[in-house]
Amino acid sequence: MTEYIVEMKQITKSFPGVLALDHVDFSIKPGEVMALLGENGAGKSTLVKILSGVHTRDEGEIYIYGKEHKGDITPVSARELGIAIIHQELNMCSHLSVAENIFLGREICKSGRLAKKEMNNESAKILDRLKIDIHPETIVGNLAISKQQMVEIAKALSTDAKILIMDEPTSALTNKEIKELFSIIRTLRDEGRSIIYISHRLEELQHIVDRVTIMRDGKFVLCDDFANLTMENIISNMVGREIKEKFPRVQCPIGKKILSVKNLNAGRMVRDISFDLYEGEIVGIAGLMGAGRTEMTRALFGIDPKDSGEIFLEDKEVKINKPLDAINNGIVLAPEDRKKDGLCTGLSVRDNIALPNLDIICNKLSVVNHKKETEMVDEATSKFSIKMPNSDVSAASLSGGNQQKVVVAKWLARDSKVVIFDEPTRGIDVAAKVEIYNLMNQLKQQGIGVLFTSSEMPEILGISDRMIVMCDGRITGELNTAEATQNKILEYATRFEKKLESEQSA
Amino acid sequence: METQVNNKKTNLLKRIMMTRGMGQVITVGSGLIVLCIVFGMINPNFYSSANVTNLLRQIAPILLIGVAQSYVLITGNIDLSIGSVVGMSTMISATLMSKGYMSPIPAMLITLLFCLLIGATNGYLVAKCKLPPFIATLGTMTIARGIAQIVNNNYNTDSIMKFFPEEAQTFKNFFYYGKTAGLYNTIWIAIVFWFIFNFLLSKTRTGRHIYAVGSNIEAARLSGVNIVYTTIKAYLVSAFCACIVGFITCATVGQGTMDAGTGYEMYAVAASVIGGVSTLGGQGILLGTVIGASVWGVLQNGLQFAGAPVAIRNIVVGVIVVMSVLVDIVVRSGRRRKKNVLAKY
Ligand SMILES: Nc1ncnc2c1ncn2[C@@H]1O[C@H](COP(=O)(O)OP(=O)(O)OP(=O)(O)O)[C@@H](O)[C@H]1O
Ligand SMILES: [Mg+2]
Repeated sequence: MTEYIVEMKQITKSFPGVLALDHVDFSIKPGEVMALLGENGAGKSTLVKILSGVHTRDEGEIYIYGKEHKGDITPVSARELGIAIIHQELNMCSHLSVAENIFLGREICKSGRLAKKEMNNESAKILDRLKIDIHPETIVGNLAISKQQMVEIAKALSTDAKILIMDEPTSALTNKEIKELFSIIRTLRDEGRSIIYISHRLEELQHIVDRVTIMRDGKFVLCDDFANLTMENIISNMVGREIKEKFPRVQCPIGKKILSVKNLNAGRMVRDISFDLYEGEIVGIAGLMGAGRTEMTRALFGIDPKDSGEIFLEDKEVKINKPLDAINNGIVLAPEDRKKDGLCTGLSVRDNIALPNLDIICNKLSVVNHKKETEMVDEATSKFSIKMPNSDVSAASLSGGNQQKVVVAKWLARDSKVVIFDEPTRGIDVAAKVEIYNLMNQLKQQGIGVLFTSSEMPEILGISDRMIVMCDGRITGELNTAEATQNKILEYATRFEKKLESEQSA
Repeated sequence: METQVNNKKTNLLKRIMMTRGMGQVITVGSGLIVLCIVFGMINPNFYSSANVTNLLRQIAPILLIGVAQSYVLITGNIDLSIGSVVGMSTMISATLMSKGYMSPIPAMLITLLFCLLIGATNGYLVAKCKLPPFIATLGTMTIARGIAQIVNNNYNTDSIMKFFPEEAQTFKNFFYYGKTAGLYNTIWIAIVFWFIFNFLLSKTRTGRHIYAVGSNIEAARLSGVNIVYTTIKAYLVSAFCACIVGFITCATVGQGTMDAGTGYEMYAVAASVIGGVSTLGGQGILLGTVIGASVWGVLQNGLQFAGAPVAIRNIVVGVIVVMSVLVDIVVRSGRRRKKNVLAKY
């Protein structure tokens, strides 16, 4: 008998053209939270997918509860072994209800008939335990992303698993939900369950993690108690080198006004938005999840119809009714949800990068200039060090973080006047984050206006020169870097209208 | 939370409204009522009891193949072999009977076996071999039609009454000519199978898996749903329904005709999508298919009654198919934001 509940030894896995895992060791004890860390494409997701039966290993041994597990693990046998996984990418049947998703594949039946009531009640209990206020009969596709993520977590918890894998569970959650999740993780740990926790938000680790395993380039690097490691240790082991500045900052003089938005209204989540953007500055848009930041960028870019409002570009009014208008005027948007909006996952990386830039790389007869295309793609992929065998592989085969890099890269391959990033660093590792920050700084130095939204406070504080705080579809405050603090941002970000009214009447 | 769930139970009307896919069923259902009123005004005989029972009997086979196609569409696939399986079922059963090889019941069983084989092949090719459903079922469609032609050496069969006059008469009455409780048996057959398959789809685990596979195949797989079995089951239901329609056709004509069921796969798509079944999978209910099949039948029958030639009927039906889906899309995109626009850029 060993003290470990799961032991994976010398696991190797290759995909066409990539060695994703190269003799990796991994083990976890009962009742501990193990962080699994590494850069984008290090093989974290692949490793846990082998444990949960999504992928099969090429080589290596797996011991579960001290017994060797010979053949391949399948999703069903993983569930029987008490292993549950929350996937990095949302994996829900959007047409089905919350309860139907939670019980998918293990429906409760009574003499052949689905026991709908039982499943609804059971789901309601689990959701209650997570303090999520969702009716179990709600259709999942109608929920906000963060709520869908909570449903995914509820689904994993509902199986009463002994080993729980969480692949970046917090990347789409609100602060309140993250807190809730952490307290659940602690309860689960105290019940003797083991949790494998993957995240690029290193500041989260201190709240929950007992031990840390670090991987780099598909290889095992180290495994140690969290208490024995410093943050610098962790980062340099992940990246393989020191990262000096987590938030590089360059100063440049503020120039003339580039973009000016006046009284923009679009639906319920964008109300009376006005702001200016100057040459040589990065403006961060802060706010809680659901504050209307994404909706605002979408309206600005012409995806969602506007109800009213004016947009001025270099003091000339422009009409933006569809994305093409925005692109032609030099405004681009790197959207938040890469799977749905950002990428054509069936196409190659090359095609994805070329797609918005076809006007540049085609000649007058609209024939693609292959040489120009290759140049552009090579430049873009090397600038972001996108990890892939070559640019002809499908975008879907990249690791989550590298997909995000492709989304950003495809927009930066062309010259623009204003670049809007919606959560550009979601799911991206520390080193790549710095690369994206550097890029934003570079744009700023070139006199391009940069607008970005982020849910990570340190990032907003560290990168932007000025920040706009949104709450409930309205701008509730504007701060300069010098005067901004986390508390101030939070205060603005929670200024709901009701609260305002009660303040005024008081 | 729990009380909420129970509260919902009490309010039946609200529950019905909340059922998935009800929206389109209600819209198209109202359209159907309007159609009936209009045709009634054009020709009052539209409401004669003779015409109504006749109309219902016309709708019955369309409903069955509609159910067949709906099952497959909900898994996110398509079945182009339905029409050929109808033809194959007619020809095999008619050949066995008219040549005196077998009386109707064993003949039907043998026929059913062949039809289910086609269904299983469809499911296997699509789910296991990962062939695009359009291609796979295009192949089996041609094969099944070929079988229909070859069983009787490229001729339509003789009358099925030749060797087993008594049993064959029962067969004809059972599937087409007889009446039970004032309604033609064909209608009863459609109703019974509709209830069975509606139950299977909405109340059982298999049904739930069919929706899940169509909605997000990857999520279903990761949740431990057996994609291959589920897909095969949907195609088997499809082949089963097509087989029954083949019997109905055989009973109607009294002999086997090689081109029986030609074009039915598309009528089936029409009945499904008019009733709100999404061709993209994961969406739709069989109640919608009833409405869809009825719209189809009423249009055909009503236009015929109003004296419109076949060509006009075809054009009108085509327009209605496109319109009903278009309306649904417009209604939905009004409600939801156009979320997929960005991927294009
Ligand atoms: N289905 C697949 N087909 C081909 N290659 C794949 C597939 N899945 C992963 N890979 C490759 O395997 C490597 C490891 O990917 P993995 O998703 O495990 O990384 P990760 O550590 O989870 O990264 P991230 O932090 O970005 O999520 C990557 O180079 C990726 O391109
Ligand atoms: Mg990953």
